[in-house]
Amino acid sequence: MTQPIAMLDGPLWPYLALLLFAVLPTEIWRWLAVGFSRGLSNDSPLLEWVRAVATALLAGIVAKLIVAPPGVLAAAPSWVRVAALVAAAAVMLFDKRRMMLAVLAGEAVLIGGVWLFAG
Amino acid sequence: MSVSADWSWQRVALAGMRDALMLPAWIVGFGLIGIGSLARDVGYPVDVAVLSTILVWAGPSQVLFFASIAAGAAWSAIVIAIAFASLRFLPMTMAILPLLRRPGQSVWQQLLLAHYVAVTAWSEGLRRLPGIAPHQRVAYFLGFANTCMAVSSLGTFAGYYLLGALPVPFAAGLLCLTPMFFLISLLAGLRHRGDAAALLLGLAFAPISARFIGGGFDLIVAGLIAGTLAFLIGRRRKPA
Repeated sequence: MTQPIAMLDGPLWPYLALLLFAVLPTEIWRWLAVGFSRGLSNDSPLLEWVRAVATALLAGIVAKLIVAPPGVLAAAPSWVRVAALVAAAAVMLFDKRRMMLAVLAGEAVLIGGVWLFAG
Repeated sequence: MSVSADWSWQRVALAGMRDALMLPAWIVGFGLIGIGSLARDVGYPVDVAVLSTILVWAGPSQVLFFASIAAGAAWSAIVIAIAFASLRFLPMTMAILPLLRRPGQSVWQQLLLAHYVAVTAWSEGLRRLPGIAPHQRVAYFLGFANTCMAVSSLGTFAGYYLLGALPVPFAAGLLCLTPMFFLISLLAGLRHRGDAAALLLGLAFAPISARFIGGGFDLIVAGLIAGTLAFLIGRRRKPA
C-alpha cells in the first residue's frame, strides 16, 4: 500500500491524492487539447491524422488488455479472451447497429469459456 | 434516434439521454463497477471511488490509481503512468471539439465539454454528432455524456459494496466489458479504409511495441506509428 505523503496527511488525504495523482494527469490532456484545437477546422488533414492516431491508440489499449489482462480477467485462458472479442467483432461486421447483440455474444463466449475451461 | 433541427434544447438533451440509455451508459456503468471494489481494497472511502468516476472519467486511469496504491507504487510513478495512459485524450479531444464548437463559445465551456471525452462519448459523438444540426450538438452531447456519467457513478457505488461477492466467471466478464466495448465502439464508427487500417494496425502494433519499448512509452509509440500509417493509407485512396 502506498503511504500518504506525511506533510499532507490527514482525513482529506484520499481526496487530495485523487485530485493530484489521478485527476490532474488525466485532465491535463483534455485541457491542452482545447488550446491546440483552436482554429482547427473539421476537415483538415491534421485532424484526420489526429483521429487516426486516437483510433490506433484505443485499439492498442484493447490489445494490451487482452494480452495482459487486469485482475480476475487473467482467470480466462488467452484463447477465450481472444474468442470473446472475435465473437463481438463478428456480430459488428455482420451488422454495425447490433451493438447490444455484439456485447452479449462476446460476454457469452467469455463467461461460458471461463466456466468450462478455467475450473 | 434522429434529432430534428427545430427541436428545443431540452428535447435534444432528452434524445441524448435516451440514446445513452439504449446501451452505452449501461456498458460504461457496468465497466466501472470494478473501480468501486478496487477503491475499497485500499481502504479509501466510497465517495472517493464515486468522485474518481466523475472527476477522472477514464477507466484505465482509475484502475491504475487504485491498483498502484494497492501495489505500493511511488506517487511519482503513479502520476507518470496515468499521464501516459491518458495521452490518448489529447488527439481524441482535438478530434471531437471542432464538432462541438460554436461561435461565441467561451473557453470555460470548451473545457467543460472536453472533460466528458472518454471512449464512449468520443466514439458515439464522432459517429452521431455530424448528423445533428450544429446548434443542437452541445445539448445532445451533454445529455448523452451526463447520463453515462450518472449511471457509471451508480455502478461504482454499487461495486464498492458488491463486487467481491461475484463468482469468478462473472467478475471476469465485467472486466472484459471494457476492451470489448472499446472494440465495438471503434467498429461502429468505421467510416473508411483509413479507420479500418488504424484499428487493425493499432491492435497489431501495441503488443509488439509492449515487448520492445518499456517505461510506459509503448502505447504512445504504437499509436503514433499505426495511426500515421493508417492516415497515409486513408489519404492515398482519396482523389487528390
